[in-house]
Amino acid sequence: MTQTLPTRDELLAQNGVLLIVDDILPPSGPVAKGGTPTVRPMELGLFIAIDQDSRVYAFNGHVDLGTGIRTSLTQIVAEELDLQMDQVTMILGDTERAPNQGATIASATLQISAIPLRNAAAEARRYLLQQAGQRWAVSVESLVIESGVIKAQDGRELTFGQLLVNQRVELRISGNAPLKRLEDYKLVGQGAARVDIPGKATGELTYVHDMRLPDMLHGRVVRPPYAGYDTGDFVGTSLLDVDESSIAHIPGIVRVVVIRDFVGIVAMREEQAAKAARELKVTWKPWQHGLPDMSDIEQAIRDNPSIQRVVLDQGNVEEALAQASERMPRTYLWPYQIHGSIGPSCGLADYSEDGIRVWSGTQNPHMLRADLAWLLEYPEERIDIIRMEAAGCYGRNCADDVCADAVLLSRAVGRPVRVQLTREQEHAWEPKGTAQLMEVDGGLNADGGIAGYDFSTRYPSNNSPTLALLLTGRVEPVATMFEMGDRTSIPPYDIEHMRVTIHDMAPIVRASWMRGVSALPNTFAHESYIDELAFAAGVDPIEYRLRYLHDERAAELVRATAARADWTPRTQPMQIPEEDGVLRGRGFAYARYIHSKFPGFGAAWAAWVADVAIDKHTGDVSVTRVVIGHDAGMMVNPAGVQHQIHGNVIQSTSRVLKERVTFEESTVASKEWGGYPILTFPEVPKVDVLMMPRQAEPPMGAGESASVPSAAAIANAVYDATGIRFRELPITAERILAALNSAGVESNSQPPQSPKARRSKWLFGSLFAALGAVLGMAATALPWRAEIAPITPPAAGTWSSATLERGRLLAAVGDCAVCHTAPNGASNAGGLAMQTPFGTLYSSNITPDPDTGIGNWSYPAFERAMRDGISRDGKHLYPAFPYTAFRNIEDADMQALYAYLMSQTPVKQVQPANDMRFPFNVRPLMAGWNALYLRKGEVQTQPQQSAQWNRGQYLVNGLGHCAACHSPRDLLGAEKGGTSFLAGGTVDGWEAPALNSLSKAPTPWTEDQLFNYLSSGYSDAHGVAAGPMGPVVTELAKLPKSDVRAIAVYLAALNGPASGSAGIRPETATASTSQPTVSPQSLSNGQRVFEGSCQGCHADGLGPKLFGVSPSLATNTNVHSALPDNLIKVIQQGIDKPATADLGYMPGFKDSLSNTQISDLAAYLRSRFAPNEPQWTGLPEKVAHLKANPGTH
Amino acid sequence: MKADTSEQQQRAAEKTVTLNVNGQATSVTAMPDTPLLLILRNDLHLNGPKYGCGLGECGACTVIIDGVAARSCVFPLAGAQGREITTLEGIGSRNRPHPVQQAFIDEQAAQCGYCMNGMIMTAKALLDRNPHPTETQVRNELSANLCRCGTHLEILSAVMRAARRQPSTDPVQ
Repeated sequence: MTQTLPTRDELLAQNGVLLIVDDILPPSGPVAKGGTPTVRPMELGLFIAIDQDSRVYAFNGHVDLGTGIRTSLTQIVAEELDLQMDQVTMILGDTERAPNQGATIASATLQISAIPLRNAAAEARRYLLQQAGQRWAVSVESLVIESGVIKAQDGRELTFGQLLVNQRVELRISGNAPLKRLEDYKLVGQGAARVDIPGKATGELTYVHDMRLPDMLHGRVVRPPYAGYDTGDFVGTSLLDVDESSIAHIPGIVRVVVIRDFVGIVAMREEQAAKAARELKVTWKPWQHGLPDMSDIEQAIRDNPSIQRVVLDQGNVEEALAQASERMPRTYLWPYQIHGSIGPSCGLADYSEDGIRVWSGTQNPHMLRADLAWLLEYPEERIDIIRMEAAGCYGRNCADDVCADAVLLSRAVGRPVRVQLTREQEHAWEPKGTAQLMEVDGGLNADGGIAGYDFSTRYPSNNSPTLALLLTGRVEPVATMFEMGDRTSIPPYDIEHMRVTIHDMAPIVRASWMRGVSALPNTFAHESYIDELAFAAGVDPIEYRLRYLHDERAAELVRATAARADWTPRTQPMQIPEEDGVLRGRGFAYARYIHSKFPGFGAAWAAWVADVAIDKHTGDVSVTRVVIGHDAGMMVNPAGVQHQIHGNVIQSTSRVLKERVTFEESTVASKEWGGYPILTFPEVPKVDVLMMPRQAEPPMGAGESASVPSAAAIANAVYDATGIRFRELPITAERILAALNSAGVESNSQPPQSPKARRSKWLFGSLFAALGAVLGMAATALPWRAEIAPITPPAAGTWSSATLERGRLLAAVGDCAVCHTAPNGASNAGGLAMQTPFGTLYSSNITPDPDTGIGNWSYPAFERAMRDGISRDGKHLYPAFPYTAFRNIEDADMQALYAYLMSQTPVKQVQPANDMRFPFNVRPLMAGWNALYLRKGEVQTQPQQSAQWNRGQYLVNGLGHCAACHSPRDLLGAEKGGTSFLAGGTVDGWEAPALNSLSKAPTPWTEDQLFNYLSSGYSDAHGVAAGPMGPVVTELAKLPKSDVRAIAVYLAALNGPASGSAGIRPETATASTSQPTVSPQSLSNGQRVFEGSCQGCHADGLGPKLFGVSPSLATNTNVHSALPDNLIKVIQQGIDKPATADLGYMPGFKDSLSNTQISDLAAYLRSRFAPNEPQWTGLPEKVAHLKANPGTH
Repeated sequence: MKADTSEQQQRAAEKTVTLNVNGQATSVTAMPDTPLLLILRNDLHLNGPKYGCGLGECGACTVIIDGVAARSCVFPLAGAQGREITTLEGIGSRNRPHPVQQAFIDEQAAQCGYCMNGMIMTAKALLDRNPHPTETQVRNELSANLCRCGTHLEILSAVMRAARRQPSTDPVQ
């Protein structure tokens, strides 16, 4: 564990130690445009320490982000000192230990910051050998080191530690200690197993997320609603109110901390903090004024103020272009993207007046320490950042933000606090990889040569100040401008007339560096453009590049890569024959990543040959294979380099084909993987890596540079396949299909279809017309009924155990507890709110409490309530209570039910008053309702039907009261009979599907399916029981199977003879005549959400086998219903209480997916899985309504 | 009065549940809707399963429940009672890795390694069910396990390597 290691100061003060140190000038970090670097004093950096126990510590200021630099740096140290890998303890990034070498960016660790470490190791080697030579009086040249043991030719041996007993030697890095010769290398250049992987594979490595301290508390933060903005006058000034009483019901809350727009919660347990953060009522000012329209990113970037900076102007571009024979102005747009660390950021802070310790996954430990000192007004040297491993990050995620959050909360409670951000917070607030706009004006001369190249780029991004500084008002939320858009802005080609202009600009939304910082987008433009020039000139694109590529090492790489890929020269696209509607193509691109402050320096060289396959009917595009050539100079760990190249190829392919942050109302709408899908296993291409043998050359930053040619290579391959240039990313199926259609390439896209609205729902408009009828009836019915005298509650032992057991089962059939139990409330004590079209009702207490329940109800009072809907006191009950069905209960059953209910434990609980709208708040009017609808008489036995059918009829229509939900109600809230009987209804916002032949299920219900569904809550041909039906199935599980079978027999018979066949209804072979009303953009968005959020469980056998039933949506009743309500409600709320235990759970998405995303998802599901049903209309409104009115199920 | 109600509500909100994790019975008191993931990590100090999304989308939290891969971030504590739960720690250790873990080590199938728990546990559940899957089957099985570093190729190699070593004996069972 890191914290048991000695600190730099401890080592410097120690005796029996060899210390290799150097004065270092800490880098200032990135500097705002026009700003001056913060000059920090020289520091003494410790690079190597060897103690008298032969322990070897090596220090580097950078951190391992999963790239394996811990292993590579260990190789370097072990090599120079002839140690085994496990004899070196490598310490990275800790501010109390490691030298400040700036941020870990640009894949520059091995290229730059490893150099002093290697020299330090050589310094130590020279000293140790000299000491041994002196002690033995032999020449240094005659000595060898093996595994940390110095050996003389006569066999004498000394360990490092033996030379250091009671010594304290401090040496500066001179830079002239001899380095080991390349040919003597044993470790460097060999594949080395990563030192961290065994611990990671077994759960034994402690990530920052796993760090815990004694006495530690858990924190969560509540972020402001301006998701993704860190500039503007609303930042830090928008909080109005925090209502702490809104979380009073949650146990374990320690403190709510509010500092301007910073809101945090500290709790004893993590789930308590998480729940409180979800439920805390926070009120914000309106703030959405003056934001750019983020639905048009290109325009938003053009409108963003900028300062022009010309970094290259050679020849005479304007004159040259004026004379071009073919002028080709082009615009390229890169979208906003996210780092998307798989683990949302986490930090742990322990604040005291004496010192602060922070365990962090930061990429920039020393910058974070400076930020925390500023935030807290606290001496920087007393803050210790302990860098722990974290989920991979490719620039700057929320790792620093969460540490600042943790420190603020720890300060407030005086104990260590661990803060874990949510997925939604990480997605919404991480500094984005910015959108970028590139423009090229250029063209060809008559001879096919490049006339000129006028390139400009706009990169709205900076360093993203740590969020707490802004939210607390410690730093003004003013957008600063950085000069970082210039990476690889100069193309690698020797073009006579060339100008490169950078439009420096502040961020629009919070943005910072992300892998391939500005170079990846710039290269997308350069390499797409030269490809286009080549085809316009009628020259093979590789040959054309080589004409202008005068860096011989680069040219060699390009040729080697082309050869490895069997590149066939081409001068026109679409040369590969189409197979089965699949268009194939291959594209090339080359780049050397030039990074850091302009003019910067080069990392590794990379070239791509990408193969793509495109389904011309759907537009679906995949990268099937990538051949990548890579020249990184000397490779310390070639296996590690290859692994990094793989990672960069896959991640950049994902960015090019799939990734785009979406915005709604100008704020970030991509708040989870459904809103931001990334490449998955089935989509991963084959990758063939060609590593140039250059072990004699200095090491170059590897990995990141491999991603730089990606976008252009893929776009060029898509051009090769289709003849269409894509200059905006991502290259999605939707964009390809649209382009193919407008280019006239044949495809099978469906013709536009028109809406066909069908909606059966309560109609409020006619309510007052009906009111007269009710009032008229009321005059002739008996509005008042007599009270039945209260009784003393019956004593225990009044009823036999057989009667009570019968009653218990009947209560299960009747689902009493389903409606008469509030969420987390006592069973049958009432209080469940039920939204009806006529207002909100609260279910009553049916425990035998005499004051608030039914304890003083006699059997006649109970029976009258059950059969006639009249309370003991004579009031009319609302027909939400299904007394119209309960009339049918046999007397013996009614008595058993009474016995059971009166024998429960009494619970004293008063219900909230009902909130019914006029005229339904006038209870006597219910008398009129009863006069209309309460049919006298019990269910009649049908002698021509089987006993099983008759039992089923009795259960369904009596105590089971299925029709209460599953029959439509008329304008007055009564169940309809006749053909409408069991033809579907609505309850608490849920559609109760038709149980008769009107069912919209794609597969008719069979008796067996009904039996399975009612027994388990799941039918593979229809889906799972959710909403109010979930508890119904839970209750039915208490019944004898024979009764469930009887219900199934009766219901199956309702469907008529056709119900016996289980086959899927024949779907019309031709395209449906129904007409969709949703745009291709909505469907495409819905598909993105489906793939990211849903497909893992709903993959129809093509995904993982996960716990639970993973229902198919192709047969799902809700997807085929005329109403989208159930589908939307399940998406929003999930299924947290499945009907039976083995069904599995579904999370709700109401907090992570926007209304638009859910609406688009529903439309997509409908069009994909119920293609013969008309598209739903009014989805956005319906989604918004159901979110605002979630109901109680 | 109000405070009393809150305290009652708070007390009523927690329940004691007995869990069977990696072959050991243990009881935990928490809100019944607490994700199993947090119980495993915070109460049982089993850090193998990781928090990734809380929505069952990424797979970092995968454990094996009654022999099937399960997303512990969306599996409530209340539903875990009486079930056999196995975590990454339960299948092997650094000194005695499970064959699937060993295959991941051999293939160096991690960059940051945060997704690795889910990859290994999902692969183990697959291989227990289907000892010799095709690469396409492995890709489909892992289709809802997200990796951001791009280690997919090494992970596929690791699972195929583990499959080649089947039949294997589980060191715990």
